[in-house]
Amino acid sequence: MLLRRLIVTLAIAVLSTTAGIAGETTGVTKDTIRIGIFGPMTGAAAVFGKAIFGVEALYRDVNDHGGIYGRKIELFREDSACDPAKGIAAIKKLISQDQVFAINGGLCSNVVIAAKPDIIKEGIPYMVAGAGSSAIAEPLSPTIFQPTTPTAGTTRDMIDFAISKPGTTKIAIVSHSDDWGKSNHDPAVEYLKKRYNLNFVLDLTMERGSTDATPQLLRIKNSDAQVIVAMLYPAETAIFVRDAFKFGIKLPIIGHSAVSLTDTRDRVGNPAALQNFFLGYHLAYATDAPEMKKWTDLIHKYYPNERVENFSFLGMGGTLVMIEALKKAGPDLTRSKLIAALNSVRDFDTHIQARPITFTPDDHVGEKNAAMATLKNGKFTVVKKWQDK
Amino acid sequence: MLLQLILSGIAQGSIYALVALGMTVLFRATTIVNFAHGEMFMFGAFVVYLFLHLVGAPFFVAALLGVVTLFGLGICIERVLIRPMAGGPHIALAMMTVALSYLFRGIARIFWGREVLPMPPVFSYPPIEIGNLVLTTQDLIIAGTMVLLVIVFMLLFHRSKLGRLAQAASDSPRGAALVGINVPAFYGTMWGVSAAMGAIAGILVAPITLLYPDMGAQILIRAFAAMTLGGFGHFGGAVIGGLLMGILEELSGGYLSTSLIDVFAFIAIIVVLLVRPAGLFGRGEVTRV
Repeated sequence: MLLRRLIVTLAIAVLSTTAGIAGETTGVTKDTIRIGIFGPMTGAAAVFGKAIFGVEALYRDVNDHGGIYGRKIELFREDSACDPAKGIAAIKKLISQDQVFAINGGLCSNVVIAAKPDIIKEGIPYMVAGAGSSAIAEPLSPTIFQPTTPTAGTTRDMIDFAISKPGTTKIAIVSHSDDWGKSNHDPAVEYLKKRYNLNFVLDLTMERGSTDATPQLLRIKNSDAQVIVAMLYPAETAIFVRDAFKFGIKLPIIGHSAVSLTDTRDRVGNPAALQNFFLGYHLAYATDAPEMKKWTDLIHKYYPNERVENFSFLGMGGTLVMIEALKKAGPDLTRSKLIAALNSVRDFDTHIQARPITFTPDDHVGEKNAAMATLKNGKFTVVKKWQDK
Repeated sequence: MLLQLILSGIAQGSIYALVALGMTVLFRATTIVNFAHGEMFMFGAFVVYLFLHLVGAPFFVAALLGVVTLFGLGICIERVLIRPMAGGPHIALAMMTVALSYLFRGIARIFWGREVLPMPPVFSYPPIEIGNLVLTTQDLIIAGTMVLLVIVFMLLFHRSKLGRLAQAASDSPRGAALVGINVPAFYGTMWGVSAAMGAIAGILVAPITLLYPDMGAQILIRAFAAMTLGGFGHFGGAVIGGLLMGILEELSGGYLSTSLIDVFAFIAIIVVLLVRPAGLFGRGEVTRV
């Protein structure tokens, strides 16, 4: 009886050790490293899926330069459609069926948050591509790394920028009522109160799919608001800016970093409507700046028909960090070594994101705040405060 | 503020009414509720966009081609997908249109999934200002087209042979066929007309809503609600329902809370349906015994 129990115990111990080792090196062979990619490639939020092409272009470029310690990156892409159910299924497939070593993706916060328990449970290294919720990397999960400024940071940027306009004390906020909207709205209310001891003079809702912003704008027009903070998705931002111009509202409108400046310009179709429009911006340079050309060329090298705009670069900073960490982890690659390498990233300047990225074992939010952008005489300009505009 | 909200509500409601009209035409003629009508709206706009940007056609030529293309698509849908199911249960026909809706949206997402595209307005004039009131030419064109279409179809259905034809074909297809009406051809044409109306709505509304694969689905819900509010199958009801929806949305957002915009009109619908289950202008079903 005792002998039988001993054999069973030994068997369990051996199996768990083997499983542990297998987990550590799952997705790594002599010649390949399997990386799982996911993002909204279809659906209403598919515009954010543009980031996936930037991420993949970097990995494919690594392969064209011989790989990492002779190993080629093998990419497995799944479409989350910005839908939590589909996102969870995608993550499960990447982990269980495709047996990837690490994951690099996720542009929609609702999807990443829904998939987070599975990622934590599997202990798989995960680099977020661009999803912004502050709940992704806080509280800390040992394997999850968020390289871009989270919503709380973006919110701070927007409020600080609004206040940096001399004499500003009265700000109106317009936001969506969904999870994304709340994840921006609530920290904004809190930050304005805590940092500046102010409340929004108007707190308005514009639902997703709205095609008209008249009620919101008339209320703003009848108020004494000096600046408008618009926590809205791209299509609604364009409609809001267009309608503001229609009603002759010339207050500065500060849009979210989830919005593309050039796209908004094209959608509004009237440069005059964007004279007082600013938005949170996560890149170091304007998308058409010479500094960004090499990244644009890289995306076009692998995806010649892809229209490159600022979302295309959103995940590239994190991917550069990931590639650097894969190199730093050494030829005997394990998940623990990759995570240790990621934890040692300090002030890594990607020359893509607005600020350098730092990860520590206690803090996996790589970038705390970003910048703002506007069209200055029709030219895309990155600004840090009102006086720079 | 009140007048501006009402004016904007009429502009917004005209969009719902325009989409609802296309659905009403088909419903009156075939008793089928087409849940893929939003995709006709979306496809119409995208076809025009393609003719504008890929072929370089002038706007009016592109618009005409868009309407004609969708008319053809409507006829094809009836011939290939609906006619084989003729005589089947209504729920099956409705499910077919639901399936079509997802299929068409899926196809559009393959080509334009990541894009929200701008669509040029019919006329690029600055907004018209009358005192404190502001109105765009696009709003006027949408409202004008909606009024024109409702008059045309009310005359056609109530004052012409077409109306009697539609009544006969929808009430008793077999009886209509026996008296020499080519019912399948009539149904096909009405599918074409309805799809073409969807295209007209899409072309006019896309400069406001912007162009993306899900644009039809967003509007369809409200157009459907407008039909319900006004009374199913009633042209005037669809228009009044759409306008009321638009005005209620604007007034609730302007005076109560902007968070009520999406729900207030639906609350109004619930109240109306409780009082008048057939909608404002609909007539209850009468069974002769």
